[in-house]
Amino acid sequence: MKYILMMNTMRAGAGVPLWPRADLQAHIAFMHSLNRDLRESGELVSAEGLSFPDQARLVRAGKDGVPVTDGVFPESKEFLAGFWIIDVDTPERAYAIAARVSAAPGPGGIPLNMPIEVRPVMSVPPPEML
Amino acid sequence: MKYILLMSSTKAGVSGYHTWSQSDRDTHMQTLGAIVNELVETGEFVATQGLAQPKEAKVVRGEKNGLPVTDGVFPESKEFLLGYWIVDVAAPERAYAIAGQISAAPGPGGFPTNMPIEVRQFVDSGTAGN
Repeated sequence: MKYILMMNTMRAGAGVPLWPRADLQAHIAFMHSLNRDLRESGELVSAEGLSFPDQARLVRAGKDGVPVTDGVFPESKEFLAGFWIIDVDTPERAYAIAARVSAAPGPGGIPLNMPIEVRPVMSVPPPEML
Repeated sequence: MKYILLMSSTKAGVSGYHTWSQSDRDTHMQTLGAIVNELVETGEFVATQGLAQPKEAKVVRGEKNGLPVTDGVFPESKEFLLGYWIVDVAAPERAYAIAGQISAAPGPGGFPTNMPIEVRQFVDSGTAGN
């Protein structure tokens, strides 16, 4: 069963580049090590990091079909910072991997304990949506 | 350049979808399917996924002992990801145009939903990738 693990941040999360360099490197090394483990166990489908929220755009269709773009979001909005798609045997395994992501080291090497949103994914729309 | 187009809604929005007529749902899904077919033909398609209902979402944090702590309670205002499209395009404007097409997919009575679609660029060598 496939799950997506979503790492969300508020706008303030964009302060990551201000971390001391050594802390940032430890964080990135942790993520690389996690991805390597998931690749070796055959559970990694994909992992991507997203650019910072200042580059995010909200798009709606205009009446004439021309896209209307907007870059203004409410202060309370959560932005997706990165995600992992994993293929695991049980939901508990997805939660265990999410807990490992959550514990990624932050400033001073202290675990961030970030909340990670875990959602089942499917390649076709869920039956209840059809 | 790779972009992810995110379609999100609140729990109330998802409940609203369930009041659509069957033919409105069919038309909506057929339109989204046609957009994917076009993207496959232009070579811009990378991936798309639909996500399961918000009621199956969990938020996970790592405890000190590394064990996952799961919770399924979210604020009513929380936006849940419903689905996404990953596209590989030559310019951001092309990503916005595709998002505009998705936003224009027909809803109840055949009127465009005008759903806001969040457009985010991938970091090629960020913390989560590679």
